[in-house]
Amino acid sequence: MAGAIFNPNPTVFTAKPTVRKSDLAKQSLWINEKAKVEDNEDGPDPIDQDEIFDLIRSIDDPEHPNTLEELRVVSAPQIQVKGNHVLVEFTPTIPHCGMSTLIGLSIRVRLLRSLPDRYKVDILLQPGSHQSEHAVNKQLNDKERVAAALENPALLESVENCLVGAGRRGHSE
Amino acid sequence: MKALVHSVRFQVYSIIDNLMARNRDALKGLGKAFVGGYISLAEGEKDPRNLLVAFAIARVILIEFDISDHVESMFNITYCYFPITFRPPPNDPYGITTEDLQKALRGCLTACPSFGPLAVPIWLEKLAAGSPNTKRDALQTMVLCLPVYGSALARASARKLWNSLKLEIFQPTDPLTEEEALKTTQALVETIYAQEEDAIESDDHVQGLARDVCEECIHILREPEKNQARPAIKVLCAFLATTPAVLRFTLSQAVPHLVKLFLNPDEASNRAPILLLLADLTNASRESMPKAVADDTPIPMLPYKDEVLGAVSVGLKASPSRIPALSLLRGLVTTPNLLTDQELGFIVHSVDEVFQTDASENDDFSDSAVLEVLTIVGKTAPHHLEQQTLPMLFSSLPDQAPPRDAANERIECWRTLLALKTLCVHPELFENLVTRVTAKVDSICFPETTRDSIEDAEPDAAYAHALLKTIADTLSAKVDAGHVDVAKYIDGLVPGLYNLFIFSALQPVQVIATDHRLVRAAAEIIALVSQRVPAQRQASFVAAIFEALSSGELQGVAAGAQKLPADAKLLLLDVKCHFYMGCGVRSFVLQESASTSQKNLLALFSAGVMTAHKEILPSPPALDGFLNQLLIWSLTRADHYLQSESAWHLISSLVNKHADVATIFLEDKLNNFWPQYIASSEVSSTQRRQALQAWVWISKALVVRKDPHLTRFTDRLFEVFGDNEISWDAAKALGEIAGVDQILIKRHHVVLKILHAQKFVNGILPRIISGAQDSSRPAHEQTAYLVALTSLIKAIPKAAYAHEMPSLMPLLLRGLDLPDFEIRADVIDTLLAAAEGDASEQGLVSEHASTLVNIMLKNSMADDMPSVRVRTTALQYLGILPKIVRYDVLHPSKSTVIRELAIVLDDPKRSVRKEAVDTRTVW
Repeated sequence: MAGAIFNPNPTVFTAKPTVRKSDLAKQSLWINEKAKVEDNEDGPDPIDQDEIFDLIRSIDDPEHPNTLEELRVVSAPQIQVKGNHVLVEFTPTIPHCGMSTLIGLSIRVRLLRSLPDRYKVDILLQPGSHQSEHAVNKQLNDKERVAAALENPALLESVENCLVGAGRRGHSE
Repeated sequence: MKALVHSVRFQVYSIIDNLMARNRDALKGLGKAFVGGYISLAEGEKDPRNLLVAFAIARVILIEFDISDHVESMFNITYCYFPITFRPPPNDPYGITTEDLQKALRGCLTACPSFGPLAVPIWLEKLAAGSPNTKRDALQTMVLCLPVYGSALARASARKLWNSLKLEIFQPTDPLTEEEALKTTQALVETIYAQEEDAIESDDHVQGLARDVCEECIHILREPEKNQARPAIKVLCAFLATTPAVLRFTLSQAVPHLVKLFLNPDEASNRAPILLLLADLTNASRESMPKAVADDTPIPMLPYKDEVLGAVSVGLKASPSRIPALSLLRGLVTTPNLLTDQELGFIVHSVDEVFQTDASENDDFSDSAVLEVLTIVGKTAPHHLEQQTLPMLFSSLPDQAPPRDAANERIECWRTLLALKTLCVHPELFENLVTRVTAKVDSICFPETTRDSIEDAEPDAAYAHALLKTIADTLSAKVDAGHVDVAKYIDGLVPGLYNLFIFSALQPVQVIATDHRLVRAAAEIIALVSQRVPAQRQASFVAAIFEALSSGELQGVAAGAQKLPADAKLLLLDVKCHFYMGCGVRSFVLQESASTSQKNLLALFSAGVMTAHKEILPSPPALDGFLNQLLIWSLTRADHYLQSESAWHLISSLVNKHADVATIFLEDKLNNFWPQYIASSEVSSTQRRQALQAWVWISKALVVRKDPHLTRFTDRLFEVFGDNEISWDAAKALGEIAGVDQILIKRHHVVLKILHAQKFVNGILPRIISGAQDSSRPAHEQTAYLVALTSLIKAIPKAAYAHEMPSLMPLLLRGLDLPDFEIRADVIDTLLAAAEGDASEQGLVSEHASTLVNIMLKNSMADDMPSVRVRTTALQYLGILPKIVRYDVLHPSKSTVIRELAIVLDDPKRSVRKEAVDTRTVW
């Protein structure tokens, strides 16, 4: 991995905390009564795009000391959840970025470990954002090739490196 | 020398060291022969123990001896060890650390200026090739050496050094090294420019490195949104902390550049990052000013403040650049003496505008930044807030509560109240807040035009409650900060509250201010104010309250907007008895007919009394009747939890302050009250539970003052562990007695002894443990002991039970099988707290690891465990296990845990899923 840096000076955006819209409607009439939302009556919370974004926003970029969110590689509107099907699109910082597969693989591993196995996850490049879009997409969504890639200790280590900070969920520690 | 073993060599060094210490002049007399001889002797030494001595000798030689002919050889026998890579072996008996050697070596390296030219190439080499540790060592050494080696050398090698430092800053290996590199750059610049400081009159005189580097950084800053702009601004900020001339020069280059870039229409999309960069510069220039600022201290940012303020006011107008603009503003307002009063006014004005426009687009989280800036301004110039911000905030508060379904308006109100709460801690502003908000509460509770439909009064009540809470929270912040103006609100605010609530309670119909939540908020305010009032004033206040309680005479406590009828009487306690108050004899008159809302008022009276100083309270023999009646009243007449709770608080506080003379009252409780109300199975179980709560509060009063009566009170609780009906409640009561509360605290002038919780725990913990282990007892009695144990250790600080952990662990595991979910969650919380402990406790966890894993997994399944809290804590504990238990112990469970957690990932609750994800990642 050493030596070749694909984009030495990418644009950094500031990360913002997200508000879940459904939370606003649940407000109580009385001030300071928000603490009691944890009761069992108000039904299950389905997994939504914000939650999936939370899982992957703080994955570190393989090249820079920034998270995927800060580089706008992933964002909440680029994620769709329909039934048991999740579609994640991501945008590399430059069209010839050779790290796209590694980023995609990190996202896949994170979701593999963090989502219930009833979900089918598709990870695609934002259409038109990469030179070899088709090849990368194919590589990321082929079960056999993902499994094979994770058998490779060097590759697995670099994926693990990217995932070290993934638990921060957009908060700085 | 090399032929000798190290212990002999050590003796040789020791001899020379001794000679150095005692006969230095004689050695100097030997001249160059000695230096040359020593060099050949010390060459090639490798043993760290010997090196420590050798470095000490070398330092003396370098400083005091004539080494002009031997510079290079001396250099060779010292710099060859640089940087120190020695790592002490485990359990090193000699206790020599890397730091010792580094320190000794640096002592040599900084001893002789003529090392300079020889050292630079070595530094460059180490920086280029070393590991992060070597790099950091080299950088730290450079910081120390550069000033010694002098400015001529620094100037000559500046370019080369900067080129390698630059790499560390712009492509840092890790943040620590980056910071060291910045410090080294600072040292380099300081060394170069410190001497010629006086010669530099204008910016043109700054030549060489500082100018080159500035230009380089500013070139990078042409693209302020890019990654590299961060390190560039860090370099410039580092420059600000060097010499005044460099500081002036750097600012004169950087600030106009950034401002110009900001105003360039082509760069409009990059305004946010530009403002952030400016904020960094402003903060760094503030840091460069001395701590104590005199009027004539030069303020570096002064020449540029107009253009920067211009950029801020533009930045505030657009939402993407709002937060960066606010953080720049924070940098400006925190710089002492920078801004004039007029400018502060302008800032307050523009920030207010941001707060107002925010309403529709409240998703950019600028509120807290706005409030922060305003708070800082408020510290120095509160009049701006008073004139501009407060009127704006008050006018945005509606006169009537938003209707039930208007969630957005309600959130808007809360936002305004939050702003008021944050800003009005300042005495002048607080006075304003109290006047305006109480007026608002009055007008909500008694609107001038009665509305047609009063069926939905709840939003109004909630709004009034929010207003009162705002005052209470602000007061609480003021009490924490020790403000003296709190006490003066005993006149005005407090009588006004009494007036409002008493008047409401006397109304024949249900009105807003009878809601128990409002009463509670008002009681909170009264307690906060009265605890700060001096004893003398408290005396008359408390006397008035007792007057009201005993005779129903209300004029003493209440005064305010609503006119109480002149003959208004309000009797809460349906009691007839006597007690001495000062000199007169008062009597309680029989009163049967107090309504719920009238009885709620006890909370307000109780709040005023429980904060009183000990001396001004009437003492028990005379007060016994009152206390007894109050106690019985709390069990039989009270029809809301608020009422009995305030009665118990009042009793507890009085008993605590006068326990030494309350023997009759306490004996009566032990001998009559207990058998009659708690131990008797003829009384209904609800009432027995109530009475237990009262018992808890009396015991609490005794615990905090380490009163000898206490053991007899707790003994009684153990007696009912066999009782089917209330054994659990009695067991939990033990924990509640030890628990911390907000009533019996130092601020309320209670008699409080240190380590009271420890003493209490040491007294009963062994008994509980043996009780829970004793299998000869009936099962439900053992369970009661277990419940007592869990609720007790939940309530006390960890240090109080840590030494008992080995015997507690099996009991806690049993506690996890209890059917009560709250108890289970408490047990897991206790285990979590214990997990932070030292190695011996962690060893204890290892012994039970597989059991713990299984129990926690069982408790984290949504199907088996309906309580969200238990699921969450169980997962947290599972997540902490791998950190405290060795991997080989957990390995057998690993696959099970990962498989089972995959199911938990599908939990219906988001918060549980979050924990599950984190825990699974840890495993």
